Amino acid sequence: MAPRIFSRLTRKKKQRVLQRHSLKGSYDAVIIGGGLHGLATAYFLAKERGMTDVAVIERRYIGFGGSGRNTAIVRANQRTKENLPLYAEGLELWPKLTDELDFNLMFFNCGNLNLAHSEAALGSMRLLVASAQFHGIKSEILDAKQCKEIVPILDISDRLTYPIMGGMYHPPGGTVRHDAVVWGLAQGVTNHGVHIHQGTEVTGINVHKGRVVSVETDKGAISTPLVLNAAGGYSTLISAMVGIQLPIHVLTIQAMVTQPLKPILHHVVSSGGYHCYANQTLKGEIATGAHMDPWPNYTTDVSAHYIKHQAEALTELMPCLKGVKFMRSWAGLADMTPDMAPIIDGNDHIQGYFMDCGWGYFGFKSGAVIGKYMAEFMATGRYPDRLAPFTLRRYEDHRLMGEIANPVNYGPWN
Amino acid sequence: MSLTITCPICGQRNGYEFRFGGEERGPRPDEEDLTHEQWCDYVHMRTNIGGIQREWWYHRDGCGSWFTIRRDTLTNLEVEGPEET
Repeated sequence: MAPRIFSRLTRKKKQRVLQRHSLKGSYDAVIIGGGLHGLATAYFLAKERGMTDVAVIERRYIGFGGSGRNTAIVRANQRTKENLPLYAEGLELWPKLTDELDFNLMFFNCGNLNLAHSEAALGSMRLLVASAQFHGIKSEILDAKQCKEIVPILDISDRLTYPIMGGMYHPPGGTVRHDAVVWGLAQGVTNHGVHIHQGTEVTGINVHKGRVVSVETDKGAISTPLVLNAAGGYSTLISAMVGIQLPIHVLTIQAMVTQPLKPILHHVVSSGGYHCYANQTLKGEIATGAHMDPWPNYTTDVSAHYIKHQAEALTELMPCLKGVKFMRSWAGLADMTPDMAPIIDGNDHIQGYFMDCGWGYFGFKSGAVIGKYMAEFMATGRYPDRLAPFTLRRYEDHRLMGEIANPVNYGPWN
Repeated sequence: MSLTITCPICGQRNGYEFRFGGEERGPRPDEEDLTHEQWCDYVHMRTNIGGIQREWWYHRDGCGSWFTIRRDTLTNLEVEGPEET
């Protein structure tokens, strides 16, 4: 049942958001993966490129994967000149999409505060802030006292194992309701006549004379000239069907929420040093993540090891959370690349085969805007300048992206 | 179920004592006549299998040895017994 808070749904009485369609024998384009990236691409293909004979194939149900498991944080404070404009455009898209889809995506631009616990971390933040400002994105350095002013529950004393020395405040970021994005886009594509096939598994992709000709599924074959691999954590398994290897490791990333509290935390707070981030949802829960067991793993199991770590980190940074109970924990899959940047490519040695994968834990923030550019790429066959730096060939050319200078080291591949 | 790993020296231990060292990719390619593509394949590309793979581990918080085990990435559990051919 669709939730009743969405006005359009209750007005049009008893119309289901998702129409069931039978699988046709051919489509102009097939998108593998009914997550945010796949749905957004389908949406922009239909809306901006006039391609409505499109099928979105989803093995489970829409939003089953990373789209429904992320912690809903959006921001544009990355490091490189290739990434920054893309994420900034992504941020501007949320209010526009809310209007266009007539669906409340609950964009809450509360701002992100990233804490520094060493001079080195502050130095790195100065570079990030300078890069952001160069691209016209609001971001600034705060000292510890200013951090405490905007997030009063922070402990800025030297009692902490790693005392807070300052932070980077990025006002335009915040949170977006992730399920609403999935449902809003699903409704949007359905209104344009796109078919969403849930519970349908892709079992093969047929290539003839260097061109995609069809997609095999457990419900029948579909002939199509265009295929997009937007399978998120499972993208290497799809890619293997056409014999393309990717530099991707799948890690399980964990998150959890506490019991609901009165409003006490009004920004997204993150700490690289403690490897912890937290924000208070509109329901009052502290949503926090996100840890990864640093070895490839397709399970979505959570571990006691990390629940303990998370509790320790949270209660050091915000001591008033001591005694608060975790209510739920869950996990999703992160498709990690060696340079922490995605692989967005297409028509490279297999005409009609496109990839939008390797997002790691950046897939949610980027989903809508990438859908827009991916639709342009698939419809015109021309590689948009914004996407070209993310080519798979960069690994062969030793042009890895500079995002890696920021995050923690997860394993031998980065 | 949490991961345990069998170290050839210390026996079966908690997985968090170890550091993952990547899937087994065969020997390092010979540098003579090495193309960028082959080198990229060896350094970056991964099968990232959903199933059983042979992989490297390092007993970081233990004896410090490097060794391979087989593990099922769909269950995150070590797999015993001989390799299937």
